Amino acid sequence: MLESYIQSYNEAVFETDKQAALEVVNQALSEGLSPEDVVFKLVIPAVEAMMARIEKDPDSNLAQHFMTAQIAAEVTERMLEKFSRPPQVIGRVVIGAAHGDLHSLGKRIVIGCLKSMMVEVSDLGVNVGAEQFVDTAVAEGAQVIAVSSLMVHTAIGDNGARRVRALLRERGLEGRIKLAVGGAPYRFDPELYTRVGADAWAPDGVTAAKVIVQLIHEVKL
Amino acid sequence: MTPLEILVAAATGRPAPRIPIFCNLLDQGARELGLHAKEYFQSGAQVADAQLRMLRRYGHDNVWCLHYVGKEAELLGCREILFADDGAPNVADFVIKSWDDIAKLEIPADITQHPAWQSIAECLAQLHDEVGATHPICAYVTASTTLPAILMGMDKWMELFLLGPHDLRDELLRKCSDFFRQQIAALRAAGANVLVYSTPFGSPYFVGKDKVKNSVLPWMQRDLQPGGTADVVYYCGMAPFNEVIDLVFDELDIKTHYISPLDDLAEAKRLVNTRGLTCGVIDDIKMIRWTEQETRAEVKRIIDIGKPGGHFLFGTGVMPLAIPEANIRAMLAAAFEYGRLA
Repeated sequence: MLESYIQSYNEAVFETDKQAALEVVNQALSEGLSPEDVVFKLVIPAVEAMMARIEKDPDSNLAQHFMTAQIAAEVTERMLEKFSRPPQVIGRVVIGAAHGDLHSLGKRIVIGCLKSMMVEVSDLGVNVGAEQFVDTAVAEGAQVIAVSSLMVHTAIGDNGARRVRALLRERGLEGRIKLAVGGAPYRFDPELYTRVGADAWAPDGVTAAKVIVQLIHEVKL
Repeated sequence: MTPLEILVAAATGRPAPRIPIFCNLLDQGARELGLHAKEYFQSGAQVADAQLRMLRRYGHDNVWCLHYVGKEAELLGCREILFADDGAPNVADFVIKSWDDIAKLEIPADITQHPAWQSIAECLAQLHDEVGATHPICAYVTASTTLPAILMGMDKWMELFLLGPHDLRDELLRKCSDFFRQQIAALRAAGANVLVYSTPFGSPYFVGKDKVKNSVLPWMQRDLQPGGTADVVYYCGMAPFNEVIDLVFDELDIKTHYISPLDDLAEAKRLVNTRGLTCGVIDDIKMIRWTEQETRAEVKRIIDIGKPGGHFLFGTGVMPLAIPEANIRAMLAAAFEYGRLA
């Protein structure tokens, strides 16, 4: 039964049909799934299935990634209110668009997926300076800083990810806080992330959530 | 032959000494004149002057009348652009901040009277006077289905586009399409002869092939219907679109396709074939770190794929400022060398 829910839910998401996806969730609830089950046995496996699907199907599109994140985040938020006790958070992430960059779509996809996977997210918004990323990560005990850039100059600029890396090094934080990057320039040059000093990158927002969760686990080991 | 004649020859399959070679040097203009970006973009004469200087220095085929993409937002009421001296300007003030703003959005009755248009007119007039008879003059026009992204932010637009309210979405699209029609006509009248139709939502990478066909195509048809498509280039903001090339031929009659470096160029060439012009585009973000030899090798690879059978143009993306001068020269030298035709 669960597999059928996951399949129906993901088909709806893949067709970017939010209404149909929410109907699957409502049906699952009415047929006895608890809010915890909806999140842990339906939404999270569905997001993970989507990650696997995207990996195999490079032709998946931005609209599908966006809907995956939006629906997962919305359902999770609704279900969390009904949980019998607060869920265990797997980690914390500080995310924002790099200094000089005012684009927010990719970041929003990553945040939606992370929230559904029980990762606490501090969204610093757009045009975020390197100091703010690091200061917030330290203050909130985040394991990962995620920097999004849609433009080349904000990806490679001196006050972007490179400066975040330099600050982590200067402050002796490299073992405690990992740096992830994403955005269009990294898709065009998959080696670029190493040149800006990041630990990891992802070609799309949904995969980025997976990569960030892996980094959280690395830090916590 | 002039660069303009070479372009026409490539598009129509007539003999020419070489393939057309487009190099899109936009943000480099401020550096060329030793100005800060904000100061540089204030004057259309400066933008034209920088384009002409770079044309003389590098010898490529095209010039641009494009200040920055946010110029279109300024024509629709944007009051703040975030300039950078190391890259492209950003829209820093969204015209549409809430759904109510869609109803309030007004398309100027005549954009050529708008203060933000004057530097475009000045730039085009100078380019037209100096090289209009010999060189392609490129201008950039954002499709109605993509323009809302710079008016309200891509995430908000994606949400409205996919989830509605659909009457509000269509009201915005109608306004953007009306603006588009006015802008492309004004650019043509002022002397632009290559209209780059920027339509990322026309890429399956953005919304999937079915949505391109069912939701985006009707608006693209509305955008382009009045002036035709003979001078229009299909461009999806560097996103892949091989999957819809046939659709674009059949339904829009656009014959020039600016292929994404992320697409399979050989497949694109097969699809376009002799029906139009395949533009093979180098991944110029990698040119930031490539050596001159690597740059040359990539130019050769692209031209080896595209040149046989003709109907081919070599081009660049938006050439980040961080690309070393030596790589620009290496790229163009290789393009002229490998792009020679018997």
